[in-house]
Amino acid sequence: MELLNKIFIAPFVDMVAAPDFLMQVLWEGLVSGVLYSLIALGFVLIYRSSRIFNFAQGIMVVFAALTLVGLHEMGVPAWLSVFLTLAVMFGLAVSVERIVLRPLVGQPDIILFMATIGITLFLIGLGEIIFGGENKQMITKELGIPTGSTDFDILGGYVSFQHIDITAVAVAGLLVTSLLLFLNKTRMGRAIRALGDDHQAALSVGISLQTIWILVWFIAGIIALVTGIAWGSRAGVSFALEVIAYKALPVLMLGGLESIQGAIIGGLMIGMLEKMFEIYWGQPILGGNTESWFAYMLALVVLLFRPQGLFGEKIIERV
Amino acid sequence: MKTFNKLALATALSVGFGACAIAEGIYAPNLTYRTGPFASTGIPLMDGQKDYMTLLNERDGGIGGVQINFEECETGYSTEKGVECYERTKADAVVTQPWSTGITLQVLPKTNTDMIPILAPGYGFSPMANGKVFKWAFNPPVSYWDGASMIVDFIADGDKGSLKGKKIVLLHLDHPFGKEPIPVLEAMAEAYDFELKLIPVGLKEMQNQSAQWLQIRRERPDNVIMWGWGAMNASAIAEAVKTKYPMDQFIGVWWAGHDADLKQVGEAGTGYKSISWSVPQSDAPMMADLKTHVLDAGKSTAEDPDSVFYQRGLVMSMFLAEGIAAAQAEFGVAEINPEQMRWGLENLNITDERLAELGMTGMVPPFSTSCSNHTGHSGAWMLEWDGEKFAPVSDLLMADAAFIEPLEMAESMAYAEANAPWPMNESCE
Repeated sequence: MELLNKIFIAPFVDMVAAPDFLMQVLWEGLVSGVLYSLIALGFVLIYRSSRIFNFAQGIMVVFAALTLVGLHEMGVPAWLSVFLTLAVMFGLAVSVERIVLRPLVGQPDIILFMATIGITLFLIGLGEIIFGGENKQMITKELGIPTGSTDFDILGGYVSFQHIDITAVAVAGLLVTSLLLFLNKTRMGRAIRALGDDHQAALSVGISLQTIWILVWFIAGIIALVTGIAWGSRAGVSFALEVIAYKALPVLMLGGLESIQGAIIGGLMIGMLEKMFEIYWGQPILGGNTESWFAYMLALVVLLFRPQGLFGEKIIERV
Repeated sequence: MKTFNKLALATALSVGFGACAIAEGIYAPNLTYRTGPFASTGIPLMDGQKDYMTLLNERDGGIGGVQINFEECETGYSTEKGVECYERTKADAVVTQPWSTGITLQVLPKTNTDMIPILAPGYGFSPMANGKVFKWAFNPPVSYWDGASMIVDFIADGDKGSLKGKKIVLLHLDHPFGKEPIPVLEAMAEAYDFELKLIPVGLKEMQNQSAQWLQIRRERPDNVIMWGWGAMNASAIAEAVKTKYPMDQFIGVWWAGHDADLKQVGEAGTGYKSISWSVPQSDAPMMADLKTHVLDAGKSTAEDPDSVFYQRGLVMSMFLAEGIAAAQAEFGVAEINPEQMRWGLENLNITDERLAELGMTGMVPPFSTSCSNHTGHSGAWMLEWDGEKFAPVSDLLMADAAFIEPLEMAESMAYAEANAPWPMNESCE
């Protein structure tokens, strides 16, 4: 009886009794969700254009953030460090295309997937040799990112909004909007979508596979940098950030590997639902730490009913 | 230059592995974690350990005239890799330093048959203090249970009756290390009538702790005790600042008192405390020797020799060096074997006079080990972050031995029964 109360009554009583706290939980979930969405977008873009599941997306977040902080530590001004980091990410995109992907064109998907695991291990080693393994402070103030918080006394309590989080949400929103405009309104964007829709047809009309691959890996690098700055501002920059990137996996399962819309909505859903579940059900009933598995469970439940994910394309093959 | 040094270190380490089988001297490998999510905690500690041994090799020609081969085997704090490192190094090693509670628990039964002592200063399984059961394991100078007891005593300001009705949160890594203080804290909560709330942090959520701190905001605890490691600590402190949790009510274990973690929040972290069995003493005579023979000689990769963790690493290697010296003196041999090393660790006698001889006065409290007491229970100080650095804010605190010893006894016997047939150390009186 007590268990039923904890599942069906107490959480909702808590929500009504402390609406300010509920709003805080939703806000924190939204911020996490936006960052999950961003990382998932990096996966989706590469998958759409090349059918490669890029396992290296997580370490790209760490590598981009470490490069930025490392350059600044060497005395490079903050914003110049950002542009130089973008140049490094572009160099990485070109190198990946030339050294890893181009020789593997036509190989089975699993080989390309394994190649991205190789890229991950290489970047971990390179990053640790160059930047060391110590936790580094993100150059938040130097980049002009506002710190501090604004508290609103509402709903019988208060809700606190960190300026860093507001900035992260705003920048992520801007980046996603720009990406959508790029993909839908520009020639290059349409080429990426064409490759995603039909590889052979896109190649037959002269779309350059090499150029598109470099472009999408570079865009994934930009996304990695923005995510690295946002998350690094909250908790510092270390190799532990890589693990957070894998939270995008259930987002992809939920939203579909090929859907940009799915990555965004899936990320937001998982961010908010996992936070709600942890606070109102996970801690009181299961002792907490449910965020480690909740997103996967949610994604699995969705896959039971929609194997292609919420927004993925339903594949029907005639035999 | 720093990057070059790191490249040189990486090369030296890889070359070191190849040279392991033919290396001369006393082989005392260290199972390090300079990589991975816990590297931020590991690097300064391992730098300190390595540099102390380098100092002895450079200044004194080793210990008792024998060079110490202090080779590193990288685990990334992974239990599987740690066990591999143990297996790889055990043939020639006189001691193993597993460097994680998870790895310690895995190799603990093996050391009985391999007859290699485990040295786990300030970490590992707390009941290892009972030398009658754990013949080959040593965790000086204090155990995690000692730490939990001292923190609770500090919160109570010496009057544990004042804890009645209070709410204390244990924010802990969801890992064997993070769960270590739970038995003693639960027993204390029952004995002193305070409410203990456990809030775990998953390994994958170390840098994503907003849910845990929302929980703390809702619970409004009187105190938060943190059993954190690696990237968890900096995130927790940042979240505490964000949640506006009073810093003077937030206390961490000794692995949650790393200068670099607090520098992330700077002034905002003022008042945060960490129990510590070591205190940096940058003016100590040993530090001057270290500067001459190691730091200025370009034989170190340390970035902050004044930090709590680096100097704790120095102290940890001092324990090992003292054990080696004690064994050499007792058995009259320079190149000791693991059995003799075990005797040395069982007869550590770190007095104030000895610390003065070593030029390390004030860096660690005096303590001694014995056949039945493999921890020493030295006590510890409470350090506080003043916005720029940690400084002691208490006299030497001592664990409640009367409360902990029965628990140690019961838990160590339970371990022996669960792992029967478990060889007991019958030689202890």
